[in-house]
Amino acid sequence: MPTLLEMQKAMQESLLNRDNQAVYAMLAGHVSADRLDIYRNTFVHTLTKTLRLCFPVTERLVGEDFFEGAAQIFIEERPPRVAWLDLYGGEFPEFLSSFPPATSIAYLGDVAELEWAVNSALHAADIASLDVAALGAIEVEDQGQISFVPHPSIRLLRLDYPADVIWRAVSDADDDALGKINLGCGPRNLLVERLSAGVEVECLSEPAWCFLSRLCAGSSIEAALVDSSEFDCSAALAEHLALGRFVGFGSVPPSTAIEG
Amino acid sequence: MQRPNISVADPIPARAGVGLRFQHHQAVLEIRPDVAWMEVHTENYMGGGVPLRYLDAIRRDTPISLHGVGLSLGSAEGIDPAHLERIRKVAERVEPGLMSEHIAWNVVGRSYLADLLPLPMTEEALEVVCRHVDQTQSYLKRRILVENPSTYITFANSIIPEWEFMAAVAARTGCGILCDVNNICVSVHNHGWDASTYIAALPPEAVGEIHLAGHSVKSLADGSTLRIDDHGSRVSDEVWSLYRQAIARFGAVPTLIEWDNDVPPLQVLLDEALHADCLIRNSPKDSSHADAA
Repeated sequence: MPTLLEMQKAMQESLLNRDNQAVYAMLAGHVSADRLDIYRNTFVHTLTKTLRLCFPVTERLVGEDFFEGAAQIFIEERPPRVAWLDLYGGEFPEFLSSFPPATSIAYLGDVAELEWAVNSALHAADIASLDVAALGAIEVEDQGQISFVPHPSIRLLRLDYPADVIWRAVSDADDDALGKINLGCGPRNLLVERLSAGVEVECLSEPAWCFLSRLCAGSSIEAALVDSSEFDCSAALAEHLALGRFVGFGSVPPSTAIEG
Repeated sequence: MQRPNISVADPIPARAGVGLRFQHHQAVLEIRPDVAWMEVHTENYMGGGVPLRYLDAIRRDTPISLHGVGLSLGSAEGIDPAHLERIRKVAERVEPGLMSEHIAWNVVGRSYLADLLPLPMTEEALEVVCRHVDQTQSYLKRRILVENPSTYITFANSIIPEWEFMAAVAARTGCGILCDVNNICVSVHNHGWDASTYIAALPPEAVGEIHLAGHSVKSLADGSTLRIDDHGSRVSDEVWSLYRQAIARFGAVPTLIEWDNDVPPLQVLLDEALHADCLIRNSPKDSSHADAA
């Protein structure tokens, strides 16, 4: 008689690799094999629905049938690792980028990556923003050494294609805007974050994106400064603080000093 | 964000409640429906943002029960401590009147199989489930309820009738039973069991909650029919009649209307709950034992 673990591995084979042989041999005699299909259908259907909710614009770009087909292959190759489906789908953009039938849509992976960032921002943990008054206690000469912990909803993306413009046009079903998109406009530096009014996607200038990326990676203010005549680091920092983009700070490397 | 102001000791009343789904968050806050309690899927509130804000607001005047789908009590390889901790965190915030999980499994070899998969009814499976219920109850420092499954297959090595398996888990671990009457209806049809035998075997003192939902019927290639537990329609007459039998035996217990596919307007769920409340009031056995664990 099979052990519980042997049965569970056999069922996994049936769901992920469509190989019913092992589990079928373990069923009670009168049970017909098509009953196993119910489980496989539910498994694929549930996860396809999860991906569909997370990547609605990607789905509109490729159509329902194509999306379902791609999702099914992705689900079989990379099933969720934990029982918290908010975390499922992070590898889908990369999967789509290297999915041979999708190569004709060069920007598809970028749009999916943006949708994943939006989705992650939506579900990110609630953490109170840094109280700016707390920074007042730091001596002026030490302020350059301050480093920050970013709010968990913040995502910084650098994408080859104007995924944000495509995402907005498709979301709004704005054919006019869609028609005017210039795919060759160069890389986009995007900031995705959850503010009180909802998730925002903003395209930043190169120096603004670099400065915020460095701060979010834990660099001190001094180390994050960007040398650009067109960009005012102090004004940008004031805006980051005012909009609550940081949840903690320290004056030595954050890995040792900061409590999130 | 404000903490909910209902104390943890607030039990789920022995009346009808409805499953709260995202589609109804806004409607519930606007209408403030007269429903005794609501239940949510624990996994839907493990992150932050909008869903949790709605739940906090609704929780202020509605007792909430937490119903998990991902702990995988039947996993041979053990339950995921990180998932258990996520559940504990949601419970700490929501202060639920009841917490429940399933007699099922869905995790093996680092894959989450996103369904409630059936267990063989063996002594080994019983031991595994009991060990994990013990582990869960001691980690959460409270009693949980476990729900009987709906299944489409049975295993050749199954030697314990499912209803005895349920009773044994409750007896060995001290947990309660969430008696899903729709699941009983689905499984007894699919396997040729007897619903009255099933209900008669469950210990009334352990039954702390009942679930009601709709199911569909599918024709198979061999001409037989299979009932599918899809939570996509009204509670069937057959399930209502089984529910009458259940409360005649178990007494008035918190009873949930679940609806997960093709979710209708909130009012439809409230109507179903009203009907369940009527049956509870007219039930011959009036002893109430709402579980406030």
